[in-house]
Amino acid sequence: MNREYFEFVCPVKMVAGFRALEHIPFELDTRGSVRPMIVSDKGVVAAGLVDIVVKAITSEGGQVGPVFDDVPPDSSMDAVNAGAASYLESGCDAIIAVGGGSVMDTAKAMNIMATEGGGDPRRYAGYNNLKHRLKPYIAVPTTAGTGSEVTAISVIKDTDAGMKTFYFSQFLMPDVAVLDPRMTLKLPPMITAATAMDAMTHAVEAFTCLAKNPLSDAYAEAAIRRISEWLVPVLRKPDDARGRLELAQAAAMAGIAFSNSPVGLVHALAHTIGAMYGVHHGAANSIFLPYVLEFNLPASRADIGDLLFHLAGPEDFAGTPVERRAEAAIARIVEMKEAAHAICGLPRTLSETGKIPKEDLPKIAENSLDDGTVVMNPVDVTYEDALAVLERAWGD
Amino acid sequence: MSPNPNIIDTELSPAAGRGPSYAIQRVYAGFMMWLISRLLQAASAVDPVIKKDIDRLPEDFSFSMRVRSGSPALAMRKMGDDLRAVQPSALQRPALVFEFKHVAHAFLVMSFQESTPRAFANDRLAVDGDFACAMKIMRSLNRMQALVLPRFIAVRALKAYPPIGIVEKLGLAARIYGRLVIDLFKRDPS
Repeated sequence: MNREYFEFVCPVKMVAGFRALEHIPFELDTRGSVRPMIVSDKGVVAAGLVDIVVKAITSEGGQVGPVFDDVPPDSSMDAVNAGAASYLESGCDAIIAVGGGSVMDTAKAMNIMATEGGGDPRRYAGYNNLKHRLKPYIAVPTTAGTGSEVTAISVIKDTDAGMKTFYFSQFLMPDVAVLDPRMTLKLPPMITAATAMDAMTHAVEAFTCLAKNPLSDAYAEAAIRRISEWLVPVLRKPDDARGRLELAQAAAMAGIAFSNSPVGLVHALAHTIGAMYGVHHGAANSIFLPYVLEFNLPASRADIGDLLFHLAGPEDFAGTPVERRAEAAIARIVEMKEAAHAICGLPRTLSETGKIPKEDLPKIAENSLDDGTVVMNPVDVTYEDALAVLERAWGD
Repeated sequence: MSPNPNIIDTELSPAAGRGPSYAIQRVYAGFMMWLISRLLQAASAVDPVIKKDIDRLPEDFSFSMRVRSGSPALAMRKMGDDLRAVQPSALQRPALVFEFKHVAHAFLVMSFQESTPRAFANDRLAVDGDFACAMKIMRSLNRMQALVLPRFIAVRALKAYPPIGIVEKLGLAARIYGRLVIDLFKRDPS
């Protein structure tokens, strides 16, 4: 009996391309909103990106409520409470998030409180604890990596509880994601590389982990093709608007892919060194990706081999013997890492981060096994396995 | 069976028209959940690998595994150093919940037709609560299954069968089943 089964959801309207921001007034109007609050962080505001969004709205006679720019780099429950209070006091009727993953995640949790009229956001934490739609929410990503603009997940640092609070609900998804190349044109090369490799990891893990399905595969493949083609050109020419848009689209597609086919061991390890040493999530994913693919070869050789088509193109794919395609795909990812390292110094190994003592690898291995993403890895992971991958990723 | 052959009795007939009825699946899943909770209680007292993970759970930690409708269900609570099976109704708000969307999904897993990781991947089973605790419980359940089930069944339930020697496995399995019997004759907290 055929036992195949999958679920796939992405109700987010994508508004992408040249002058995309100027579509926001229409999107607000069609959702009955006349006074959106903007959620951002101080870095994005200082870069002038919020001004561009505000002008796009007000130039068509629209109003903008307060700009809440107190979102810290790792998000926070305090920011969720303060932002929701600001929303409710100022009579807003929609949220526009302008920023990276932390800003978009914080805005998702704020939207719960804005819709519920206040209270303790922890009441709604967990899996599918929202039972109805929230206020209109438009996401304008200013990095091309996290994919938060299309995911149903929000992770908020809760300092009082000493943990990260996790929200998962289809209702957290933005109504609209606006991908405009102006939002990422000034992104520094190092962040561009790290976030693009974050998106690459989302797509590759979605394509090779247990919940892969025909629709998540289609998005993952398209994302991988774009990142392979555009990452290095954009690093060499950061003001390439076409390339910036391609990477933004790839990040959104990778987000759709991993939102419907969750990630595996690469993320378990990256989450762990991010929490223990503050290593940038995208940089950490980039470091681990080829080593985890090598580890997963016994269960995923065919899937990893198929990646070569999207990483290197049809000619290289056709010219590579089937039994060598998986190794060739991994080698292509290593080439991308080398290129990014040469152009902007993206670390290739754990030792190159300069943040992790080698003697801590056993502790990292132990902690990584407590990360929920391990469940979706195609190969079962033991402590010894995790430690072996970490030792390979250490470099020297 | 419905008196009208053209009307499918949805309570008694699985959609596929094959396999046991939902009512039988519910009884079977209920028995398996009862057994799993007692076996895990025994294994956590006997096996040092499981005990290490249980020791790292917070004091008074509790979890439940249930079908979305609420029944069948199992519930366990950490009491001192031990993990004990308790009545599901005794846990007002467990710290961690594993929830099957439908009794048919619980049956697939409990009858070893679908592994637990595959049930997660197929969105049939969800976790609500702290993931670090969830991983410790899942590792413990996996290890327990590897110890108490014959290998040819355990490989259907697990992503990978762990490297356990036959002597070690039989020894631990005997101690777990022995402990289970002893626990059954003790005053049952549930």
